[in-house]
Parts: sequence; structure tokens; C-alpha cells
Amino acid sequence: MSLPPLTESQKACLALPLDRPIFLEGPAGTGKTTLAAARLLRWLEAGVPARAILVLTPQRTLAAAYTAVLRHPTAPPGGEVTVATLGGLAQRMIELFWPQVAEPAGFAAPTRPPISLTLETAQYYMARVVRPLLEEGYFDTIRVDRNRLYSQILDNLNKAAVIGFPYTEIAARLKAAWVGEAAQARVYDEAQECAARFREYCLAHNLLDFSLQYEVFARHLWPLPACRQYLIGRYTHLIADNIEEDTPVAHDLLAEWLPHCRAALLICDQNGGYRRFLGADPESAYRLRDLCREHVIFTASLIATPAMRALGRAMARALGHRGELTGHARPTSAATPADAPTGPRAALDYRAHRFYPEMLDWVADEIGRLVHEEGTPPAEIVVLAPYLTDALRFALATRLAARNVPVRSHRPSRALREEPATQCLLTIAALCHPAWGIQPTKYDVAHALMLAIDDLDLVRARLLAEIAYRVRDGRPTLLPFVDLEPAMQERITFLLGGRYEGLRTWVAARVEETRQPRPHRPDRPGSRRPASMPPTASLDHFFSRLFGELLSQPGYGFHRHHDAGEITANLIESVRKFRQIMPAPTAGDTFDLGREYVQMVQDGVVAAQYVRRWQRQPQDAVLLAPAYTFLMSNRPVSHQFWLDVGGMGWWERLYQPLTHPYVLSRRWAGGAWTDADEYTARQDALTALVLGLLRRCRTAIHLGLSELGESGNEQRGPLLQAVQRVLREA
Amino acid sequence: MFIPRPKQQEVLAYTGGYMGVSAVPGSGKTHTLSALAAQLVASGRLADDQEVLIVTLVNSAVDNFARRVDEFVTAAGLLPHVGYRVRTLHGLAHDIVRERPGLVGLANEFQIVDERTANEILTEAAETWAAGHPEMADLFLRPDLDDRKRDWIRREQWPGLVVEMAQEFIRLAKDMQLTPALLRAELDRRPEPLPLLEMGWAIYADYERGLSYRAAVDYDDLIRLALRALELDGEYLKRLRYRWPYILEDEAQDSSRLQERILRLLAGPNGNWVRVGDPNQAIFETFTTASPNFLRNFLQEPGVQAKELPNSGRSTPSIIALANFLVDWTRREHPTPAVREALVAPPYIEPTPQGDPQPNPPDDPEGIRLIARKFTPAEELEAVVNSLKRWLPEHPDRTVAVLVPRNDRGFAVVKALRDAEIEAIELLKSSQSTRETAGALGNILAFLADPVSSKKLATAYTVWRRADREDPQAASRLEHVARALRRCPAVEDFLWPRLGQEPPDVLGLADADEALCAQVRAFRELARRWQQAVVLPIDQLLLTIAADLFDQPADLAVAHKLAVTLEQIAGDHPHWRLPELTQELGAIARNERKFLGLAEADTGFDPDAHRGKVVVATMHKAKGLEWDRVYLMSVNAYDFPSARPGDAYISEKWFIRDNLNLNAEALAQLRGLLQADPLAAYLPAGQATAQARLDYAAERLRLLYVSITRARRELIITWNSGRQTFGEVQPAIPFIALRTWWEEYVATR
Repeated sequence: MSLPPLTESQKACLALPLDRPIFLEGPAGTGKTTLAAARLLRWLEAGVPARAILVLTPQRTLAAAYTAVLRHPTAPPGGEVTVATLGGLAQRMIELFWPQVAEPAGFAAPTRPPISLTLETAQYYMARVVRPLLEEGYFDTIRVDRNRLYSQILDNLNKAAVIGFPYTEIAARLKAAWVGEAAQARVYDEAQECAARFREYCLAHNLLDFSLQYEVFARHLWPLPACRQYLIGRYTHLIADNIEEDTPVAHDLLAEWLPHCRAALLICDQNGGYRRFLGADPESAYRLRDLCREHVIFTASLIATPAMRALGRAMARALGHRGELTGHARPTSAATPADAPTGPRAALDYRAHRFYPEMLDWVADEIGRLVHEEGTPPAEIVVLAPYLTDALRFALATRLAARNVPVRSHRPSRALREEPATQCLLTIAALCHPAWGIQPTKYDVAHALMLAIDDLDLVRARLLAEIAYRVRDGRPTLLPFVDLEPAMQERITFLLGGRYEGLRTWVAARVEETRQPRPHRPDRPGSRRPASMPPTASLDHFFSRLFGELLSQPGYGFHRHHDAGEITANLIESVRKFRQIMPAPTAGDTFDLGREYVQMVQDGVVAAQYVRRWQRQPQDAVLLAPAYTFLMSNRPVSHQFWLDVGGMGWWERLYQPLTHPYVLSRRWAGGAWTDADEYTARQDALTALVLGLLRRCRTAIHLGLSELGESGNEQRGPLLQAVQRVLREA
Repeated sequence: MFIPRPKQQEVLAYTGGYMGVSAVPGSGKTHTLSALAAQLVASGRLADDQEVLIVTLVNSAVDNFARRVDEFVTAAGLLPHVGYRVRTLHGLAHDIVRERPGLVGLANEFQIVDERTANEILTEAAETWAAGHPEMADLFLRPDLDDRKRDWIRREQWPGLVVEMAQEFIRLAKDMQLTPALLRAELDRRPEPLPLLEMGWAIYADYERGLSYRAAVDYDDLIRLALRALELDGEYLKRLRYRWPYILEDEAQDSSRLQERILRLLAGPNGNWVRVGDPNQAIFETFTTASPNFLRNFLQEPGVQAKELPNSGRSTPSIIALANFLVDWTRREHPTPAVREALVAPPYIEPTPQGDPQPNPPDDPEGIRLIARKFTPAEELEAVVNSLKRWLPEHPDRTVAVLVPRNDRGFAVVKALRDAEIEAIELLKSSQSTRETAGALGNILAFLADPVSSKKLATAYTVWRRADREDPQAASRLEHVARALRRCPAVEDFLWPRLGQEPPDVLGLADADEALCAQVRAFRELARRWQQAVVLPIDQLLLTIAADLFDQPADLAVAHKLAVTLEQIAGDHPHWRLPELTQELGAIARNERKFLGLAEADTGFDPDAHRGKVVVATMHKAKGLEWDRVYLMSVNAYDFPSARPGDAYISEKWFIRDNLNLNAEALAQLRGLLQADPLAAYLPAGQATAQARLDYAAERLRLLYVSITRARRELIITWNSGRQTFGEVQPAIPFIALRTWWEEYVATR
């Protein structure tokens, strides 16, 4: 990306002396990040070594503008600028300084390397810790999905880490804010106990989840002179963007770091705070303003048309926004005469429908028109909803595809486990490992055969599964093709029968291999299996063979389907990662990695894992995404389609009974969390969301209105009411 | 154009406060209430963020209400859909809980289990308990049973009874807001164990664990939790009071304790709350915790403006007289004095005043026939069918219904009518649209789940070409192809030929015209596409099929909702495959599930749309509807007992000692548990059974009243002597009273 021409205020800011910390604030769309990128280039041009520059953002997607500038051919040559999140930095520092912090941080085996947990693997361990307690009746007074339960306990630990209070205080804080039945508050104690047990487990096994990484870094590494010297000495130039989306602990750290920087640029987006549920704290970010020598405010939107700005003002009024509204003029002023020719209506396009699919048709038609008739690049269009169900994503993607409009989504339409190819691989794996005790249904076997054997249709696959698939003594078995009745052989055809036979003999050979004595078990996480173990012992290896020796061969299903190959590769990677963090088995354990992995897939723990590599999504495509995800990509577009405008989803926050983004924040002064607090928080969040979206829109907001929502319920939510008010006033 | 009559105007003069309205059948209460809602919306009393809240009983009423209010509001020159909200109690409870789920221990993606899942969890819990406690049955089985019979009952009958008891027990416990933990604490305070309550508690606790595991609540929880949320957070309540400054409640006679408390809280002590209902039409007590006493007591409360809507233009004066007589007779002469309060008056039903836009049909005493003759069940069927055979050809423009006390009798009537080649419409709760959409998709899924079946392939074809059925010529072509498909010996040769055969050839349709051949080819392409899509997640599969199958927005909307629902169900049951999901869809199609939402697809039943055909319905489902001619069947002492010695009761199992109604006994003990007296739960055996007989007799009187008032012009009542398993059944006592009076009435006219 080369930078666009700068405005006067950007130029003025760029011209400020290089040797000082600057605090730059302004609403989205006023050119702050562009200025920061320009200043970054100026540092490089002025001879600041790239390795001395650190660009810190709260989330990787927010760093896209910087990496684009740095990768552009016109960027000055030299070393590499570090672009990181604080979590990433923490992880790197822990790896570097592990021997010095492992013991003081309480890890049981300081001489062994740490194992970083991903969200999924942390969830897996949390499940292991919590499951026995659930059996004892923990959490039986609340109704929450188990995977959500685990993630909330993890979330509480994370909150304690990023806000900077001892995790042992989680329950006390939540209980103090609780207004419901007193007896109900015991779930917080239960959550506290689970958090403590999980932490102990991690410390005992050198496992680092996100919260431990953050805490070890903030409490043990940053105070460690060696580490602090390393960081301060190396990074003399600092850019921290979107600090309003970062955490109080990150702000603490910046506050201590700033005096040591030769130059710094801190950027704060006014009215942001969209990551509050992850611990973001915009108010805390303002502490850093006073530590900077220069304070610059950008106010003029470089993106929105006058009509869009008028719409922003009108929406803010309609939502009763009380706070400061920079960038969209005064909230209390009624429409000024200057607004008249470009009133808010000019930026609004809407059509009311009775049914949800009718609304989707309209959205697809409008997008088709914009792309094909008005020449709007598809990438300039986004379709946003408070959340996207799979059905919605699929329905819209199909409609757009039918209109020849390229489309991409914030995630592919299917999770790894929902991919038919994955299902096929898992079914064959179960057939090859009778000891797992997993007996696939005839449907699974028929579908697996249909996908595994080239040209095999569903009808013949079903015939085969009905006749040739048996479960004997709990062991799944495939019969030889020759054992079938001749009439049936004819129906299947000998060509397909031959392929089936190839598959069957491959499976039989694997079954034979697994009959060998049970493999040695790992004694701790991360240990590798001895080389002597049979090949089926590691599932990733098994999948490689299944693909290489069978499915990718001519006559088999993956031969002509490159996507299936990529999915296999992803699955292998997923299994490998899982294997690397495997827990220590207990005595008498009949532990089997393969079965454990398949179980985890079925329990939905790996549900969130998506196929990434093969999903090379088109870049110039219409984006379908939840509204907050779009905000976090920090990219303005020309057209936004808002779906489900009447839905309550726009107004609801993610509500989880075991955690609380506001109570577990540094600002929370204690006391009960009342309905008034809740209401205000939601109104503010909706206002911020709406303004955030409008500031990232150049030309028009298209409202998809349907009287009945996706589930057939009437739609009368607050956003719809606000839009009505705007229309009435306009 | 709605021109309110004087009594309706009195209701419409409402401006605020508490008001109760007793409305007789056919008095236009829904119309009046809609007009009142519209009037309040149009009055300018509401701020932008305020709404009139209308609460009604069933889903099908929601849309009717909304449409009527919209008509009124639009007529007043305002935007429709704004300023009011129509909800069933479940819908309202969902709104309340959904906004603050954390208050009651829920996450925002909490699930509501459908009735089938709830039943599965419950059945498993109850059966497990029954199997583990064989001694329990011995406490209650009749002592005179021989060992073989005893064993058989323990095995075949007892578990079912335990499930049934547990169901009602849990419902009442939830209504009383007793959690298993609270219930346990209460039980532990008692000096002696109460076996029925111990059983109820154990199953309840297990059931709740089952729900908890699924992160789900059931429909009863929804209401319980909504009330709790309002009680727990005064500020939230205050905010909702502001949002809904007016509450209009329809069908208030079916209000339950929790419904009343929720609405009372929402209205607030100085609030605005209008309750409209007919205490004589309360017929859901047996299945729910509803009671007409809430409305009756409300009408007596100081400060409540009590109004009446006595005028009804629905029926002939004779039918009105008959209904009014039933009320009078019950109140004065019912042989069991304890049920004389079953029906209340005033108001009596009065015809509409002169000049009313809805005049009563001209009187015709001949139109009423109370058949005294003793029929066997088969003879009764035959008599009704024969009567219809004679009547239908002469009255093609009239509407007619056969109303029966129970579903199984309804099935028999439908079968008898169909055998006699009379078109019968089964009145089911869900609308045609939802059922047909779900049914069509279900048939395609069934084909995909069993792709080898030529029969299912043929069904898939008829579903795809379902529009052809309307046109006789197309219908015969459709049947021709379907027959060929059914006969197809190997489906794969048609769908996936390995030797390149042409689809029409495989089916032996080589001689068919080109248009038909093209149709067959197109179907093959479609079927192949669906088969290839079979590996997709269920929601995507359904949407793919729906896109090929439907073009009507309402159908597509239902399909979309079904896709979302099934995807959720599939997530709850990771081991379910196409056959189970197909079954689930079938259950939705048969309306065994509450399928909330999609009001348009559930607009209720319009009797006038079925002129010249026979509607068969249970008396319960007929509520709110009317026909020109109505047959009431099985009006005998078994279905309409009068709490007299010798009456048999459906809820008293023959194998239980002392004719105990165990359900009633358990529920009465449960109620006793919350009384101050710790011994109140120890009731003498049989006391609750006796009370249950009275309650049941009272409710059946109201059911008879409701049934009679369904008729506009003609009413025929018959009875039968039952299956005679437990002795011959007599005509219902109220039937005899009605008939005796009617003879005199006709004679003296």
C-alpha cells in the first residue's frame, strides 16, 4: 500500500519534531493510522533502524495498515519493524527469558520448556479440570453450554490478567455486583475454584494459557531488569495504535515505557472500545495523554460524505447519545440549513419486507446492481449483521454467487469438522481402529464411501454400506466385494466394486497393524512417541498415509479434488498440534490419542477450528461479517448493508452468567450492577457501534428490513426504533 | 368498518386503571380489544419507546390480533406495526428473559427444548426411577390383582403412569417456583416421608440435570424465570413498566397464577391493565395450571372497573337459550352442589340489539336436536355420517363441524367420513403452510436418507410436481410418472446409469411425449443434485432443497427457519443423522412440536374456508371458532361425568387401589407442602381424588357450554354407551337436563 496524499492537519502532525511522544486522537476515518504509517516511514527515512521500532496494536487485524506499508516495494530497505500485540510480545519474552522466570512464576518444572496453549487447547485442559466437578453438581443452577462454561472461566482468568488484579478476586468482584438471588451467587465461587484448579494444573505442567502469558510477562518479566533493559534498549521508537481497544495492563506498561522512548506515537480512536468484552478500556487509555508532549486531535472525516455525516448526527440524536460527539458535530443541534440539501436520508437506502428471505433477495439484488450496473468494486461492499448464523451466510452467499458477485466471509462457511472430507477421513479412521470402540453408522459409512471412491453415487454407496458393512462384537468390519451376491455386484458394477475392494484391503491392513501390542504412552505433555511404535499410533501419520496411499490415488475421491487434499493437510496439522500438548496419562489409563482427538471433535471443542490455508478467499469480494468483526478490520467501505435492523442482537451484549465485562474492569467501583447500568451500557454500546459503522462508510447505508426475523419473530429492536426516529425527523 | 355496539363502546371508553370484562361467546371481544389497543396507540399517550402490550393465549391469535390492530391503526392514518406488541405468555416471557438472561442464570444463547426433547429427558428420568424403585408400585396397586397381572402392570402400565405423574408434578412445582433444592429442603422438614413427593422430587431433580446438561430450559421454565427476573430486579421491572404502560390481556379466563403475577407486576399498582375473558370458557385447567378463578376474583377486586359484553350475534335465539339454560341449570339444579359454581352468570348471552351490523341468524328451533337414543360408539358414528350424507349436498355453502371430546374419537370420525367418501378436514393447531412446507422438505429428506427406495423417489417427484395435483390432466400425468418411478427396480439405473441410459427409457416411459420426458430428465438432475448435497450440514442441505422446491416467500421463510432450527437440533444431538433429523422434521410437520414464531404461517383456522366439507375437531380445539351446523358426539357420563357415585374417570387407573387418582394425590400433597402447617401435606388418601372429580366435572360442564356455543344455526348432540369395558355408560346428566328442558321449551313455544 502506498500512502494517499496527506491533508493539511496530517502534514502538520507529520512535521512535528521526531524526538517526542505524541498523543493523537480523533474519530474513526479522520486519517490517524495513515498519519502514523507516514510517520513510521519518516523514522525509517531519518535512519532509525527498523529493529528499533515497535508497532503495538491490540489485535492483529488492526495492524494490517502497517504491515501493508512496510511490505510495499517503496518502503525503505533495512531490517524488520516489529509489529505485535502485547500478548505476542509476552509470548516471545517468555520464550527468551524462561529460565529466569519459570521458578518465581511458580512453574513446577523450570528446566523443561513451556508449552503455549491456544484457545482450543486451553479449552481442552479446562474441560479436563472442570468435568469431574460438574459431575459433583457444580454449576447446576445455571444453564450454559459446557464449552461456553469453560470459555467463561478462561475469560475470567484473562480479565484478571489484562486488568491487573489477582485472579483469586474474581468471585468476590462478581458477587459484589450480583443483584439476583443470593443463593445463585455460589456459582461464582465454583467458577473461582475451577479457575484456581486450572491455574494449578497449568503451573504443574508448564502450560501457558493467554492469562498466564500476560501475567508472567507483566508481573515477572517486565520487572526483571534483564528483560526490561532488553525491551527498552531495543525498541526506542514506539507506535501504539487503537490504544482504546487495548487493556489497562498494556496501558500501565506503555506508561512506564514512554519515558524511555526516543519517540512515540499513541493513537486513540474516540468513541471506540469495541473490545470491552476482551478487557479493552478506553478511559484507561487516556492516562497516557498526559505523558505525551504533544496532543493532536483530528476531527475532519476523510471518508464520509456530508449526507453520511448528517446521518451520523441524526442517529446519535435518535439514540439519545449524551457524550461528546466529535466528528459528527454537536449532538443537540437540530438539522442545520447547511444539512438540508444533503440530509441523512440521502445516505440511507431501505426497503421493508415481510419475510426474511425476501429481504435477502433484495440485498442480493441491490449488491448485484451496485456491482454490475454502477461498477462498484465488490470489496467496497460489506454485509453486516449482529451475528451471522450459518444458514444466513449460506443463503446469502448462494444468492450472491447466482448474481456473479464474488463473496467472502469472516470465516469459511464450515468448521473443519463439518467439512464432508473431514467426516470421510474420521469415519475411515474409525474403521481402521476398532479398538477405539467407535462404530460409525451406516449413513456415515455410505457417505464416506461416496466421497472416498471416485464416481460412486449415493445410491450405490448406500447399497454397499447396507450389505458390506457389519459390526461384529463391537468391531466395525467391511466385507470383501466377492462375498456379495452376484446380482448385487452387478448393481454396484465391477469397476466401482474393484475400487471398493482396494479401499477395503487398505483398511484391513491397517486394522491388522493395530492388533500389535499397545504403544508406549507419553509420560508428559509434548513428549514424542518412541520410533518403535506402529504407524497407526499417531493419527496425523495415519491420515497422511490414508491420503497418500489411497485417497489421492486415481480411482479415489480425493484424486481430483484439491480442496480435499488441503482439508486433509489441515486435519493433519490440527491433530499434530493436539498431540504436541497431550496431557500426561494417569495410571491405568487406556489413553489413546486418536480416540481422544475424535472425541474432542465430537464434543465440539475443535468446532471453532476452521480450514485456513485452502480458503484462499477472493480479495475483491463482498464481505459478510458480524458488525464488530468488521469494525475490528478498521477498513472503510463505500456501501454497508445492515441486516436484521429490527433484531435485538444489535442491542444485546454477549451475556454470560459467569463473567462480566464491566464488573471485571478497572473502572468498576464496586457495588451492584443494576438494570440502569445495564441499560446505559447497552445504549452506549449501540451508539458506539452505529457511529463506528457510519464513520467507516463513504456513500450509503442500506437497511435490510424484514418484519419477521430469521426465526420468524417480530422485529422491533432499538436500532429499528432509532432509524424510525431519524426518518420521521428527516 | 367496525361499528361498536353500546356495550362495546363502554369498554372502548376506557382511559386507564384496572378493568375486567366478562364477555360471552361470540361477543366480539377480540375485535373490541383490538380496537381499544389501536385507540390507545392513536391517542398520542405513548412516547416513542412505549408500547401497548397485548397478551393472548395461543400463537394463532397473535397474528389475528396484530392484523386487526394494524387495520385500525392504519385507518387512523398511522404507521402500522408501531406502538404495540402482541405476545403469547411464552412469547412475553421469552422477551423478558432474553433481555436479561444473566439475572436468572442463563447465557444469551440459551436454548428452549421442544416438547419432544423435554419428554425424552423426562421419560428417561421417570423410567429409570421406576425401575430402581419397584417397591413403589406395590404401595398403590390394587391388592386383589393376581401375581401375573401384577407383574404385567408393573412392566407395562406403571412406568407410563410414573411418567405422566412426573410430568404434572414438575409442571406444578415450576408453577409454584419450587426448584429441586427448595423442594428437598421442604421435604426434609417433614417428620414422615411422603412417597409420592419423594418420587416426584427424585425425577424432577434428574430432569433438571438433563436440561442443565443441554444448557436449556423448557417452556414452563421460561415463564417461571421471567417472573423471577421481574421480582429480582426492581429497576428492570420499572423499565418494563415504562415500556408497556398499557396491558391488554385476552382470554384471561385461562390465566395461570404465574401469568397473573407477571402481568400484575408489569402493570404495577397504579397501572393500566385490561383483562377480557369468559370464565365460562375456561377449559384448559386439566392440562395446565390455569384457573378461571383468577379472572373471577379480579372482577371482584375493589377499584376494578367491571364491564360486560353480553351481546352475541353468533347463534340463533334457540341455541342461545339452550346455552343459557345450561348455565342456569348448573347453578341451581346440578345434582352435585359443589360443582354449581362451574358456570357463572350474569352475563347471560343476549342477542344483538336491533339494527346491529351483526344480527343473529333467524330462529329455528328445528335446528336443535338432542338425540336420546342409546348408540354404541359404532352406531353413533354411523348416525352422524348418514346425517351428513343427507345434509351436505343440500348445503354446499354452509359450514359444518363434528366435535368430539378426544383425539382418538376424532380419528375414528375422520376414518368413517373418508370411508363414506366425505371430505374431512382435520383441525390441527399448526397451519397448512408450516405443515406443508415442513412436510415437503421432510419427504425429500426421507428420500435422501433412504436413497435406495423407489417409493421415496416417487414421493420426492410428487412433492416436486405438487402443483400438478390441482389440474386433473396434469395430475394424471403426475401419477403416471410416479407409478413408473415406484416400479423402478433399481434406483441407481435411473439416477446414476453407468451405461448412459436415458431416464425415460429406464422408467419404461420411452413413448411419453417430449414435454414429459423433459420433466423426467429435469427431475433426475434435481435428485442427483440433492444426493450430492447430502454430505452438507443439515441447514445448508435444507436451504439447497428449499431453493429448488419453493418460490413463495412464506414457504421460503418457513424453510429458512426450519434450517436454523434443525441446525440447532443437530448441534444438540451430534450423533443424529439424516433419518433422525428427517423424523424431527416430520414431527414439526405433524405439529407435535411447538414451533414458535413465524406468525404468518400460523394464522389459525378459518372455518369459512371449508364450506361444504366436514371439519373434525376436538371440542378444545374448536374454541374461538363457529360453524353453521355443529355435531357434538360422545356426550356421555364418561366424557362428561358429574361427580356422582358410579361415574368412571379417565384419570383414575383401574389397577390403582381405592380408585385413587395418583396424579391428583401427588399434586395436592405438593400444594400442601407450601402451607404454613407442616402437616398440611399429609392428606387423607382419596381426598384429593374426590376434589379432582369435582374439578373435572366442572371443567367438563364448561367444555359442553363452549361446544354448544360453537353452533350458529343447527346443533345436534348425540351420546354413546362406551366401549363397555367397565360397564355400560349412561348419557351425561347435563345432557339429560338439556334434553328435558328442550322438549318443554319446544312444546311451550
